[in-house]
Amino acid sequence: MNTTCSPSTCTPATSGVTESLRKPLYKINGTAEAYEVRVEMPGVPKSSVKLDFEESILTVRGERSTAVPEGLKALHRELSPVGYLLRLRLNTPVNEEQMTAKLEDGVLTLRLPLKEVAKPRQIPVL
Amino acid sequence: MKIIRTHPFSINRVSGLDEWFRHPLAGLPSLSSFISNLGEVFPGVAGDKLAVDVHEDKDNYFASFEVPGVKKEDVKIELNNGLLTVAAEKREKDGEKESSFSLTRSVSVPDGVNAEAIAAKLEDGILTVTLPKQERSKPRSITLN
Repeated sequence: MNTTCSPSTCTPATSGVTESLRKPLYKINGTAEAYEVRVEMPGVPKSSVKLDFEESILTVRGERSTAVPEGLKALHRELSPVGYLLRLRLNTPVNEEQMTAKLEDGVLTLRLPLKEVAKPRQIPVL
Repeated sequence: MKIIRTHPFSINRVSGLDEWFRHPLAGLPSLSSFISNLGEVFPGVAGDKLAVDVHEDKDNYFASFEVPGVKKEDVKIELNNGLLTVAAEKREKDGEKESSFSLTRSVSVPDGVNAEAIAAKLEDGILTVTLPKQERSKPRSITLN
């Protein structure tokens, strides 16, 4: 089973955000075992990624080093200097203790294992 | 990751062609914008455009491209006739199936860049190409005998 997240499953939670951060591109894949969330955060080193899971809201924050090194002059700028903020509200119980995160080539991959109760069950016919 | 020099006129110019500098010799702006618009008309030809920053210091120009999720071996950098082109192949794995798409961007390089010494580095999804400026020949005074 490999379904993408439907709006009813996980909705972006945006309330109460006033910082000048932007929402990164992200993708969610759901399997029978876990959700996999992939967040694109180019320019963010591992040390400045912050993850938080509270009251079924997953918050991902990433600061990027915006400062242009001394003596460097910008000639052309397209890359946003602003950091990233993604808040996702999950309505499926996940096992936060077993949540894993990996940052590779500017992409953060989170794996959120589902709780037993949320997993699909086979009911045998007697 | 390799820097490849190819023969002039054999290039794919149908991608985001940008002028770095408002230099009198930097080319025709109207032509450049016409060419870059082609990329939007034929997205399949040009691929998606990569965002780029360009900085300079006393000795180098630095071009930084945003390439999240791209592996080192899937990046190709080419300098051709004063045009630096970055082509990146992005591969994504969704469970069993794998998809890939290509991203390209070209920027014109000013004169006076030492093409042999161009270097590139990939870190945290940002590709930085360093283009060293050529040492200008020092002024010479000639004495009359």
